[in-house]
Amino acid sequence: MSLGQSLIRVGTLGKVRGETRYGFDMPQEGDLQLACVRAPKAPAKILSIDPSPAMSIPGVIRVFTAEDVPGEHRLGIIAVTQDQEFIAPGWVRQPYQCVALVAAETLEAARAGARAVKVEYDFQPGVYSFEEAMAPDAPLVQPEHPGGNLLRENKIKQGDADSALKDAAVVVEATYTTERVEHCALEVEGGRAWWEDGRVMLKACTQNPHYDQADIAKFLGVPTERVRVIQAETGGGFGGKLDLSIQPFLALAAWHLKRPVCLRYSREESIMATGKRHGLWMHFISGADEQGNILALKARINGDTGAFASYGLAVNQRAAVHATGPYRTANVDVIARMAYTNNTFNGAMRGFGCPQVALAHEAQIDAIAAELGLDPFDLRKQNALRQGDHTCTGQLLRAGVGLSECLERIEPIYRKWLSELKHTDDYREGVGVGAMFYGIGNTGASNPSTAQVEWMPDGRVTLYTGAADIGQGSDTVLLQIAASRLGLPVEQIDLCRGDTDKTTNAGATSASRQTYISGNAVMGAAANLEMQLLQGARDMLKERHLEVELRDGLLKTSDGREIEPAEVVRHLAKSGVRAMGEGRFDPNFTALDPETGQGRPYAAYAYAAQCARVRVDTASAMVKVTDVAAAHDVGRAVNPRAVQGQICGGVVMGLGMALMEEYVQGRTDNLQSYHIPTAADAPNITPLIVEEPEPTGPYGAKGVGEPALIPTAPAIAGAVGQALGRPMRHLPITLERVMEALTAAEGETNCED
Amino acid sequence: MPLKFTLNGKEVCLEDVPGEATLLEVLRRKLGMLGAKEGCGVGECGACTVLLDGKAVDSCLTAAWQAAGREVTTVEGLAQGETLHPMQQGFADTGAVQCGFCTPGMILTALDLVEQAPKPSDQEIRRAMSGNLCRCTGYHDVVRAVRRGAKYMRGEGEEQ
Repeated sequence: MSLGQSLIRVGTLGKVRGETRYGFDMPQEGDLQLACVRAPKAPAKILSIDPSPAMSIPGVIRVFTAEDVPGEHRLGIIAVTQDQEFIAPGWVRQPYQCVALVAAETLEAARAGARAVKVEYDFQPGVYSFEEAMAPDAPLVQPEHPGGNLLRENKIKQGDADSALKDAAVVVEATYTTERVEHCALEVEGGRAWWEDGRVMLKACTQNPHYDQADIAKFLGVPTERVRVIQAETGGGFGGKLDLSIQPFLALAAWHLKRPVCLRYSREESIMATGKRHGLWMHFISGADEQGNILALKARINGDTGAFASYGLAVNQRAAVHATGPYRTANVDVIARMAYTNNTFNGAMRGFGCPQVALAHEAQIDAIAAELGLDPFDLRKQNALRQGDHTCTGQLLRAGVGLSECLERIEPIYRKWLSELKHTDDYREGVGVGAMFYGIGNTGASNPSTAQVEWMPDGRVTLYTGAADIGQGSDTVLLQIAASRLGLPVEQIDLCRGDTDKTTNAGATSASRQTYISGNAVMGAAANLEMQLLQGARDMLKERHLEVELRDGLLKTSDGREIEPAEVVRHLAKSGVRAMGEGRFDPNFTALDPETGQGRPYAAYAYAAQCARVRVDTASAMVKVTDVAAAHDVGRAVNPRAVQGQICGGVVMGLGMALMEEYVQGRTDNLQSYHIPTAADAPNITPLIVEEPEPTGPYGAKGVGEPALIPTAPAIAGAVGQALGRPMRHLPITLERVMEALTAAEGETNCED
Repeated sequence: MPLKFTLNGKEVCLEDVPGEATLLEVLRRKLGMLGAKEGCGVGECGACTVLLDGKAVDSCLTAAWQAAGREVTTVEGLAQGETLHPMQQGFADTGAVQCGFCTPGMILTALDLVEQAPKPSDQEIRRAMSGNLCRCTGYHDVVRAVRRGAKYMRGEGEEQ
């Protein structure tokens, strides 16, 4: 049984040998190279595009503009907001939007060509923040959108927040902000496309091959089956490879030129032209009784989604649904609003709005504790969601609620760190806590996965899945699930993954959904295969009522016979039948009420609690996160080492969000100005796995990819706040912000003197 | 200009290498050594790390001509046939490989470190690896991997 074993991730060998080929590594001898012509700013009318200076460069063979797009211009992941134009048709909405595409025999010629294309712009006034976008008479970013610049408003109404706040013994009110964050997967976007048998073939990095296929077909104006997408090995994603990036350009060029073409973004292009995590403005008013029981939350959340909706709807809705944090809150009034602006678009990034609201809900708990003179850790335990509680959308949590255990696991560590805290003239220390709950899969929407498992005549088994493994380990986890269900060693199963010709749609590698949703689809496929084998055995033995079972890789009859499944497979093959099991799983959900946000948005939730210990250097204002303990309820750890790997990776990404990461358009366009944590910045991490089985999960499993990151920044903010004696409500906690807090703290000390 | 150097133990001889070409471009585009990655092109991420006479360098910042007459080691030159180099084995065994894009550079930097400090402390490892960015692992398993690889290289076998 491979379930629960820390098997080494599939593909590791090729990766340590340097043999793995990423989308980035696709170029072959003789391929054409592509380069994008990008607008310097937005909004702008395109007055003219003159390709002739580019065409006169040796090696340049074609310049494409929007006129060359045979199908739909406007694409996008969410069906109701398809609004992203990959080659601007006459109007530029966001900075660095592509306005023309150059194909050339060499990379140098393509890039020179892109610089040479002459574009005349008429720059127009735009809107660059939520406030500007919502001002009366603001220029419209997407005039086609019925709501003006307001992309969406999501409301959560439960009970009566205003009256509960009036009656509360303590009310705390504060404003929190976070900034835009870049995914910074180490692999920049890259891929290759070619023409074969009247179809476009595309092999590129992605988190969602079947979506890519559908939207590329739309872009080319052809039926879906005329496009084949193969997921290249993908060097990280974190949400950044959910939207299309290079794919439409590759497909368009291959379609017109009938030759293999390659495109790879530079890091600058990757940072400038692809989506970011939304920065959010959050105003929270929370009330509690004298014992610290939370009574109410009133929250207003504003976000800027940039020029294209991307995953803006999902982020807005998730932020609203998770605004209470993992705490019982009977009276809730949340309004989250998301506006279009002329900034580079913001989309999905690990957590979809939850890491942002976690800063607020955790600081609010600390503030309530401070007001009441209660212990902030005890307050979390006291208010933690438990089995039988309802969430702010009115969903009854029937089972699989492991938050209390997560808190219990980190409590001794937290208490120990607290007892060791030191303040000297040179440094101050602090300890903070963060907790979270996270709905697995898409919010209040169908998001099925499908899979097949086939027993081959040679005795091996093949698992077919459209689920993109981007390094997080879904290949390994899905194989472990299939192997466990069939009672086979993992080594007996081959994997066919992410090829739209050979696999069916598993949905996006997002929302921490692949273990839970695709894992269930694989379970279903394996069960279906088993049924076919049992039926096949009866048929082969011509004993219709024989009792047969599949155990330890063999078909065993009640009268003691043992049959190799491959024998049955060969028997079925004689009548042209393949022993292929089909599986499909769509979580049980209800859509949220548009006015009250009430409903059952997710079938399962993951829970986590983390604590962080920091040391702030008083002279330099440098913050060093020395330790983080992270307890995660994953339902069941299919591969414990992979779970720990996700936790540790999430913690350090959360540290980046807490202390250093802020995308500033035009200023942080490569890694020397956009800093992510290094090995020297990373704390000692204690990953702790909690397994509160999810009854609807495969072997009880849920997900961990995004939960890993969500509590970290709040825990660090809390720790720095404790060290400095004042709450840190704005991320990232830069040197300037620490210095300001230190100076203020010093001023207070002097006054007291 | 012509360029001669030793690549993974074998002499290579190239005609007509442009003076401004980087070692990374030559390795990837002329010699098919795709294990060296370009993550930023400005020497910040370390994904392009190779060994030049045993020292870890960012090949995106190293002019190709600087390799003339010297020994270049890429990740492809580490394994002996099917047998992984002990440092590669260390990375594999500890689960330090997630997306794997940074892994070749990490392994080569680790080799440079272990050359200087056969039994590196965690702090030495963190300092040495701080020029190699990873977005997946949080470095937790990377530190374990280098420790484990160094141990294998000392011939001490599995870590307890």
